[in-house]
Amino acid sequence: MSTMEAPRAREPSALPSRPAASPLAAMLRQFGRSPAGVIGAIVLLALVLITLLGPTFYGIDPLDLAGAPFTPPGADAWLGTDYLGRDILAGLIYGGRATLTVGGVAAVITIVIGVTVGALAGFFGGAVDTALVKLTEFFQILPSLLFAMVLVTLFGQTLTTITIAIGVVSWPTAARLTRAEFLRLRNLDFVKASRAAGAGNGHLILRVVLPNALPPIIVSATLAIGVAILFEGGLSFLGLGDPNTMSWGLMIGQNRNYVLDSWWTVTFPGAAIFIAVLAISLIGDGINDAINPRLRKRG
Amino acid sequence: MSLKRIFLNCALGLAVTLAASGTHNWRASAADGGTLVMATSQVPRHFNGAVQSGLATAMPSTQIFASPLRYDDNWNPKPYLAESWEVSPDGLSVTLKLVKNAVFHDGKPVTSEDVAFSIMTIKANHPFQTMLAAVDKVETPDPFTAVIKLTHPHPALLLAMSPALMPILPKHIYGDGQDVKSHPANLKPVGSGPYRLTEYKQGEFYTLEKFDKFFIAGRPKLDKIVVRIVSDSNAALVSIERADVNVLPFVTGVRDIERLEKMPGVTVTNKGFTGIGPINWLAFNTKKKPLDDVRVRQAIAYAANRDFITSKLMSGKAVAATGPIAPGSPLDEPNVEKYKLDLAKSGELLDAAGYPKKPDGSRMALTIDYIPGTDEQQRNVAEYLRSQLKRAGINLEVRAAPDFPTWAQRVSSFDFDMTMDTVFNWGDPVIGVDRTYLTSNIRKGIIWSNTQQYSNPKVDELLAAAARETSPEKRTAMYSEFQKIVVADVPIYFVNASPYHNAFSKGLASLPTTIWGVMSPLDEINWETPPKN
Repeated sequence: MSTMEAPRAREPSALPSRPAASPLAAMLRQFGRSPAGVIGAIVLLALVLITLLGPTFYGIDPLDLAGAPFTPPGADAWLGTDYLGRDILAGLIYGGRATLTVGGVAAVITIVIGVTVGALAGFFGGAVDTALVKLTEFFQILPSLLFAMVLVTLFGQTLTTITIAIGVVSWPTAARLTRAEFLRLRNLDFVKASRAAGAGNGHLILRVVLPNALPPIIVSATLAIGVAILFEGGLSFLGLGDPNTMSWGLMIGQNRNYVLDSWWTVTFPGAAIFIAVLAISLIGDGINDAINPRLRKRG
Repeated sequence: MSLKRIFLNCALGLAVTLAASGTHNWRASAADGGTLVMATSQVPRHFNGAVQSGLATAMPSTQIFASPLRYDDNWNPKPYLAESWEVSPDGLSVTLKLVKNAVFHDGKPVTSEDVAFSIMTIKANHPFQTMLAAVDKVETPDPFTAVIKLTHPHPALLLAMSPALMPILPKHIYGDGQDVKSHPANLKPVGSGPYRLTEYKQGEFYTLEKFDKFFIAGRPKLDKIVVRIVSDSNAALVSIERADVNVLPFVTGVRDIERLEKMPGVTVTNKGFTGIGPINWLAFNTKKKPLDDVRVRQAIAYAANRDFITSKLMSGKAVAATGPIAPGSPLDEPNVEKYKLDLAKSGELLDAAGYPKKPDGSRMALTIDYIPGTDEQQRNVAEYLRSQLKRAGINLEVRAAPDFPTWAQRVSSFDFDMTMDTVFNWGDPVIGVDRTYLTSNIRKGIIWSNTQQYSNPKVDELLAAAARETSPEKRTAMYSEFQKIVVADVPIYFVNASPYHNAFSKGLASLPTTIWGVMSPLDEINWETPPKN
């Protein structure tokens, strides 16, 4: 790995640009040793496959009136139907696409904003740091669910708006984490050495400091997916979901009035969210185990 | 910690006080007397129904103020403040003979001066402008005779003299020159109705106590009505189940109604709402392509399945509405096109209108809005229509509005294709129906005007003529024709009468089941068997 990347590094090879082994490679190797992480990864992969391939095997449209309203789980509809007679299993399959996409994309937005702000603040320090920390704190003290509700109310109840809103309200954690890592790393010898060798700020941030700050950010990104999924569920529960795209949260939100009479309408999408978030948390745990030197097994 | 304790003590103390006072009242109550506790989510802005429409004000206003007439459960006018009334043969004057023993809560007598003042005040201030538009002046030849002079015959006047629409205000209080809409007495009302308002805690509760000098002997039968404002319907349901509350008016949730019906100590009725005539419907923007083509609107009507909505979505709790006049009104014309589900016919109409099926099966894409907040009547039907109309090749996008003003803004500025809506008839078509169909009432920015922008000269003509027609038979015939035309033109696809229900504790007798229900004096309801507490 390091030999492959060596030609791209400008600094003389005598000076170490980063710790000897690539942390990412080591992390992957360690991740394989974490049973929780592996189980989480398998479950998540299975969920993704179901939502991707499900429609080919289960050809019912989630918005179609497939049966009588409130049909209990059985031969007519495996997981029952909701208050309009829409198939719950079809809703889970198609809804999973939307829910997992919202989770993934919102996490990317969270990380991109968070890492950018955190990296700039941590690397430059001084006035830039003060300003960006104030900005981060400003966003952090806003009640995030309320803020997301305001954004969705203002810009419309579409899946795009909802995804962006979740990303926009969730980034401060990632920013603080990144800033802390950058503060820790920026004065270490290998960074000083790169700077002495003539590397510019852009190169230092992106190629020297960031790769070393990456592991905790990856954990945070993984968990951000779970948070975003829960967030989408929460917004839908409050009636602020996208009514035109089936999602797990929307299924719960629209059927919650009927939970006493028709448990299946809410229980299955609820279980789906639970399993997805649990899987993602397990993966996060696995990654954490893998990158935490104190937990790392030698060998 | 200590704060918490203080709070707890206060709460406990309050509970004990309430329990004690409750017990006391029940013991005191024989066949007559006793207290009635109501729970409602409707928060009145004030109590003066002369200048404010809506259920929230109408319910207390009709207890506090008396009106010239009241109605039975069969649309027959009954004497109230007016012991008799007479319409002149030319229909241009209506003479009211008032009862002589009626007094206001402050002891002053109710005279024709008060009637004249009230009518002119309502004409000038009430949101229902057509209701008394025909009134020119009110003459008062003697203290107990009022002659309403009209510019043209106005048969709707009889229903306009209902308790909810014509509260008689004391001139000596409201006629002091202040703006009646913001008069301080609107919150401390003085009327001549069966109950006096004795306490109002904004947004929490109000108390109505028996008026001892009420002009009908022996009434009201109750001593007191306490109306608690409970915004959470679950809390209200639990309260009536525990008999903490005795009356739950204006319940529309199908699940709530079903729960109430299962409660052993509760009687549920859908009687008492034909006067309001609430219709739940799907409105079209008839000026916007492709909905400007009547065939497209008819195709949508044939593709929607009203039976499914009333029987499945509303569990049979709602009655189908097939035309612009609510079922239950004597003017309702049942023989109109019903648009029974017929996807083939729907397809033919869309083909003829120039919207053939594309390779993907779709013909057109439209949006649908709904009033947020009432899921079962509005959102669920919109969601259902999206799924159902897809079968006819119409792809609907549901546009959720975060709050009522957003929805009202879209619809009143004609920024919509189709929208679910709920509109009240308010007794006579002139009061609550005409506004939706008259060309002259296409008024941008005003919700519940003719936001469909529907215009048919024949309909305008019929409505204008029927509004002045004094022969009941001819009038009925005109409204029949009007209903047939509107249903054929489909500016609106009528879905159902909103399933309003009232729930009462068992043991209550003479329930308010007239056409105005609880928006009529509650002077007859009484405890046949007072609740054990």
